Amino acid sequence: MLLQLAWRNLWRHRRRTWLTIAAIAFSAALLVFMITIQLGAYDMMLESALRTYTGQMQIQRAGYLDKPQMRTSIAAAQALAEHLRARVPEASVAVRANGFALASSGTRTYGVPVVGVEPEHEPGVSTIPALITAGSYFSGPAAQEALIGATLARNLRVGVGDELTLLGTGRDGSIAAAVLPIVGVFASGNPELDRNLVQLPLETFQEIYAMGDHAHAIVVSGPSLDAIERLEARVAAALPESADGLVLLDWERLVPGVRQLIDADMVQSWFVYVVLIVVVTFSILNTFLMSVLERTREFGIMLALGATPLRIGALVLLESALLTAIGLAIGVALGGAIAGYFRVVGFTFPGMKEIYAQFGLPGVITPQLSFATLTLGPAVIFAFTLAAALYPALRIRRLRPVEAMRAA
Amino acid sequence: MHLKNRRILGAALFFVVCTASAATSSKAEVDASAIVKAAIDYWRDTSSYSVARMTIHRPDWERQMTIRVWTRGEEQSLVRVVAPPKDAGNATLLVGNEMWSYNPRINRVVKIPSSMMNQSWMGSDFTNNDLAKADDLLDQYTHTLLATEVRDGHKVYVIEARPKPEAPVVWGREVVAIRDDWILLEHAFYDQADRLVKRLTTHDIAPLGGKLIAARQRMQQAESPEEWTELRVLQAEFGVDIPASTFTLANLRNPR
Repeated sequence: MLLQLAWRNLWRHRRRTWLTIAAIAFSAALLVFMITIQLGAYDMMLESALRTYTGQMQIQRAGYLDKPQMRTSIAAAQALAEHLRARVPEASVAVRANGFALASSGTRTYGVPVVGVEPEHEPGVSTIPALITAGSYFSGPAAQEALIGATLARNLRVGVGDELTLLGTGRDGSIAAAVLPIVGVFASGNPELDRNLVQLPLETFQEIYAMGDHAHAIVVSGPSLDAIERLEARVAAALPESADGLVLLDWERLVPGVRQLIDADMVQSWFVYVVLIVVVTFSILNTFLMSVLERTREFGIMLALGATPLRIGALVLLESALLTAIGLAIGVALGGAIAGYFRVVGFTFPGMKEIYAQFGLPGVITPQLSFATLTLGPAVIFAFTLAAALYPALRIRRLRPVEAMRAA
Repeated sequence: MHLKNRRILGAALFFVVCTASAATSSKAEVDASAIVKAAIDYWRDTSSYSVARMTIHRPDWERQMTIRVWTRGEEQSLVRVVAPPKDAGNATLLVGNEMWSYNPRINRVVKIPSSMMNQSWMGSDFTNNDLAKADDLLDQYTHTLLATEVRDGHKVYVIEARPKPEAPVVWGREVVAIRDDWILLEHAFYDQADRLVKRLTTHDIAPLGGKLIAARQRMQQAESPEEWTELRVLQAEFGVDIPASTFTLANLRNPR
């Protein structure tokens, strides 16, 4: 009975009701769209941060992350990587060894990190092999070749075919030295990597740095970010008993800065969302208040007929709840449809694809559609509007039947 | 309690320094610099040739190298690795503040850039700067005599060296202990926050090459007791005639 009454009351002012529904629907749609795009953008950011070089997770010897020392290494790293490839076929697995060297072109010298990579597996975990701007990638796992970042090449004044002299310290403390021809120059778009990094084929690195079969990291990446946790569990389970003293570190441990960046951005966006929600709430409050104030006479009669203030209050609340629910339903459908459309075609704006192409990334945001991203924003709007509707509903308790009926 | 003791000690030191400088006016400062200069001159002599064994110790491994060292004046040094065979022939040339490294396997000379001067020298606890810029202690610092002690019947000067305002130096301050026969007993390095980073201590003093010298010295990292490098002088000659051509890039690459 109450519901029926509320429903009828709602449509006594068709135009006003529709306008309010439109306001709610618009803000809900906007919120849904913004949240799905925002989370999609985070995924892209993360993807770019991880796919360039770091990978989704790494296996290292415990303690290496905090204090990377040559001797804190993984024995028989390539055998372990093969084992993982067999047990977790959906993952890309690549071994890396890290060192340091004075890289000299004869006239100029820079101290740089040197990394040994597996040429046949590295493309699965890093975009660098695909971002060669001059020359080519390594010709084999033991090729006597070096790959260097574009900025470093410029600083050293070297190009493809020139010799690079490396002088460092090996795993056994002996002096590591090599002269290698530069086979390729890469531009990853990450200034840090382009300015510093020298890559060698893993076996070449192991020989120069007296590493034996040791390495420092086994990089593991899966096809999608959504499945990271499942992949992490799979990899952890696939680690053999002999992997004692090794740890599996996910990206949050490897690059904690990315998570902090996302969290900071999240706080900032929520500030914007809350402002949006508050503005919407006040406009709805206005509608509710109007509809109560103009119906003082009607409420007076209802009270005189024996309706309790509680019942009338409930009626008013129900009216607002219905109104908001209709608005939100339309909004979610609309916002979800827009997000769904962009999920299929990809959200981008002019120039974005070109910028991201430099980093070897698609440059398309895929909105993240899930129950949470669709309903979180609208749920907050619903809570705010109900809180707003409480005020007019509570005013009814102050009405005196006789005075109310005489009101104009 | 500990802090209080240190404060009392600090106050006492301050008192000693004050009375000392009051008594001799600015002479104390002049003296401190002169002592540091005397120690450096005594250690380097006009020229020297020595053979030393360097032991690099780490928690899980240890490694030894034998090196030959030539020095001439205060500006020129040449270090050549003799053993182990794998590293034999590697050499480092120092002229002034410039430094070059030679590796026989690749037959290349690499100039060490100034940005790398604080990196470890051949994997040891000595940095390139420790080798190249020993004289900076004289030129780039102001010296204060902190205390005069008596150890094993010798007078020992404890001198604090603070970098001059514009000095290109990474340390906040250094404290050296020099015996009255100009042998360096201790050299502690403090960072800008006045935390002890590493400390060089002399363990054996022996007659070598016709005079008493610090025959065994150890550079100890303050934060990790299991990380140190020991330098033991096996053989030394001082004031020998070393031709200027020893300290050239040509000789670094092709030893005579």
